[in-house]
Amino acid sequence: MMLSKRSFLTGALGGMAMIGMPFETRAQSAGGRGGTLVVGSSQVPRHFNGAVQSGIATAMPSTQIFASPLRFDENWKPQPYLAKSWEVAPDGLSVTLKLVDDAVFHDGKPVTSDDVAFSVMIIKENHPFKTMLAAVDKVETPDPKTAVIKLAHPHPALLLAMSPALMPILPRHVYGDGQDIKTHPANLKPIGSGPYKFVEYKQGDYYTLEKFEKFFIPGRPKLDKIVVRLIADPNALLVSTERGEIHAAPFITGVRDIERLEKVQDLVVTEKGFAGIGALNWLAFNTKKKPLDDVRVRQAIAYAANRDFIVKKLMGGKAPPSTGPIAPGSPLYEARVEQYKFDIEKSKKLLDEAGLKPNADGVRATMTIDYIPGGDEQQRNVAEYMRSALKRVGLNLEVRAAPDFPTWAQRVSNYDFDMTMDTVYNWGDPVIGVDRTYLSSNIRKGIIWSNTQQYSNPKVDDILAKAAVETAPEKRKALYSEFQKIVVEDVPIFFINATPYYNAFAKGLSGLPTTIWGVASPLDELYWATAPKT
Amino acid sequence: MSTVEQTLIVAPTEPSDAGITANAAAPGTTSAPAQPVAKAASPARAALRQFLRSPSGVAGAIMLLLLILVAILGPILWPTDPLEIVGLPFAPPDPDALLGTDYLGRDVLAGLIHGGRATMTVGAVAAFITIIIGVSVGALSGFFGGWIDSLLVKISEFFQVLPPLLFAMVLVTLFGPKLTTITIAIGAVSWTPAARLTRAEFMRLRDLDFIKASRAAGAGNWHLIMRVVLPNALPPIIVSATLAIGVAILFEGGLSFLGLGDPNTMSWGLMIGQNRNYVLDAWWAVTFPGAAIFLAVLAVSLVGDGINDAVNPRLRRR
Repeated sequence: MMLSKRSFLTGALGGMAMIGMPFETRAQSAGGRGGTLVVGSSQVPRHFNGAVQSGIATAMPSTQIFASPLRFDENWKPQPYLAKSWEVAPDGLSVTLKLVDDAVFHDGKPVTSDDVAFSVMIIKENHPFKTMLAAVDKVETPDPKTAVIKLAHPHPALLLAMSPALMPILPRHVYGDGQDIKTHPANLKPIGSGPYKFVEYKQGDYYTLEKFEKFFIPGRPKLDKIVVRLIADPNALLVSTERGEIHAAPFITGVRDIERLEKVQDLVVTEKGFAGIGALNWLAFNTKKKPLDDVRVRQAIAYAANRDFIVKKLMGGKAPPSTGPIAPGSPLYEARVEQYKFDIEKSKKLLDEAGLKPNADGVRATMTIDYIPGGDEQQRNVAEYMRSALKRVGLNLEVRAAPDFPTWAQRVSNYDFDMTMDTVYNWGDPVIGVDRTYLSSNIRKGIIWSNTQQYSNPKVDDILAKAAVETAPEKRKALYSEFQKIVVEDVPIFFINATPYYNAFAKGLSGLPTTIWGVASPLDELYWATAPKT
Repeated sequence: MSTVEQTLIVAPTEPSDAGITANAAAPGTTSAPAQPVAKAASPARAALRQFLRSPSGVAGAIMLLLLILVAILGPILWPTDPLEIVGLPFAPPDPDALLGTDYLGRDVLAGLIHGGRATMTVGAVAAFITIIIGVSVGALSGFFGGWIDSLLVKISEFFQVLPPLLFAMVLVTLFGPKLTTITIAIGAVSWTPAARLTRAEFMRLRDLDFIKASRAAGAGNWHLIMRVVLPNALPPIIVSATLAIGVAILFEGGLSFLGLGDPNTMSWGLMIGQNRNYVLDAWWAVTFPGAAIFLAVLAVSLVGDGINDAVNPRLRRR
């Protein structure tokens, strides 16, 4: 509690202090190739080791510092990275990686299959995404440049799990010294084999990365230096971006913010680069709590909410609607599900059927709605909209404001809620980021972003288990289609929209990160085509 | 208005030594001759007359009355639910929505009318809490002196050195943003000026002759505090109470501005706090509640100044 209060206060005050503060590195930006890139972000990383920490705050620096076996292009196709080739065995029970010959860590030691084996097992044991590498039995290292990942059962999600954001290869000689990996001192002074090496981190203020001269891809990275300024106040971040003090502002979600930056001449604003993360914004129900344990009540709420109004009017058309548990940008997305088209009468009828009759004041039931504090447009505004929308069908909602994130997370993960707005990421493959929300085996009290809805449907459990090991892409897609239809029918969650994550870049930049992982992947191709305006 | 003032300002006369009390109703003028008891109510009337003579005070009182009237009657005349979405977001003022709609499409006029009720209630109740705590602490400390005084002064110094807005933020963060918590938090952080004022008045009064006379006549401490000293210390306290209302309204606005408003009760502060990010898209959603807060605080301050002039004996003599 103490910590959260403090961070809340410093956040509010720190933002103000940043305005108008000239930043020394700004003047050092050079034109042509190379030069310095100043990134502005509100995402403060706890540390830089993406092997034991999920989230974009860590993923952005971690993917610059650490290389991974594979990377992905704009069309979800795997590309060689640390692994120059990879081969999935016909039975799907092993994947053989051939590593590039000349990769070295920032301290000069070579990257070997031993480091791959070490990292895979570290991630399997410590990464919050338990399902991601659960199928991995062991990693064999027949020679220093060959790693064979042995699986207990086929695991088609493994290729995506080898993405930069999910499988950073750690040097065993640094992280394997027996200290607890989650609190390892090198998490804050990381050593990897990625395009940029870590220089310094001023906690909550900025961190600096510098070109790694011996990076294994010749001619890259093109930039000399990346400075990430951490600016807690979104308005200060916007102003700095508008003034050109910041050359790249990733993760912009506010519609007004996006529109404001789109008007700035010297900026390119793109929505590309977040298909992999697949952030969904939704209304989750506590399916064990009366009256929400009745599927008809949940369906009634879905019919009473006008998704079209939310997406087009409240979010200004910048956020794509989402209709099911898999993000619209994914190749596994199924559009043919129940849409819950806005229908007040149908909603009232369902509530009547569920036995929720209006009392003398026209009130059928009173419930609470929570939201993640901080994200006004995606969270608070929609919660307030729901209060107004559900009143029309006789459901009274009390909006519960949480003062900080831990308070919200504690309520939701301990099932002390009726319904809550929430934002959860797909992380590429359903096995990594989708299953956790729906598997009955993942109802884990106290853990946020597990199955906090306490949704339990044996058929869904069964389909997800089958799809996780299905190696034939078409069959796998069919299984996930069925899964999406059932979940949408059961409404443990009312799906509202995909979070619009926009990136703003200064116009002179070229080689923008538009792959499925966006800035949560190496920025080794980014360079200044024309000098930045200072 | 006038009845309120009278009941507050009229010193409940001390039956045993009425003449002395009436004299003390004009503290600061110790040389003034004792007046007969029949004229005991006249200081209040004089104060009212004096108040009515100050144009700014009267203007403030009229403004305040109007605002209170709107807060009481408005919701009946304009029953639109301020939390209900009635149209498209960011609709500018037009005949459909006289003052436009906010970022959700809620009626700004409805928010203004219903929000005034909440904001002014918070202001009044928080000021009441401020005065109750402040006067109690100040009275005990000023009357008894000694270790009670040093203890209470230490406590109020502790509260004094905390930045009030930050302290209120912490309280609201801890106990959740509900209108009651917000009100109590405001009261809890802003009582020290009232305590200091009351303490000074009590220290000044407790050694005057008429108090000694009362004590000699056998009055107990409780009686002395409540019936003898307090009535004579009241005028500056009333002024400070009036100003406390204005401060509390500003506090409510400040807390809401920082995102610590009660989302289930529309108030002026909440309107500004929630709409401030969209000020470039919808100036009306911020400007009107802002103007309302300005008017309310101005009205309260003018009334406070008017009362101050009216009850200040030096000015009254002129």
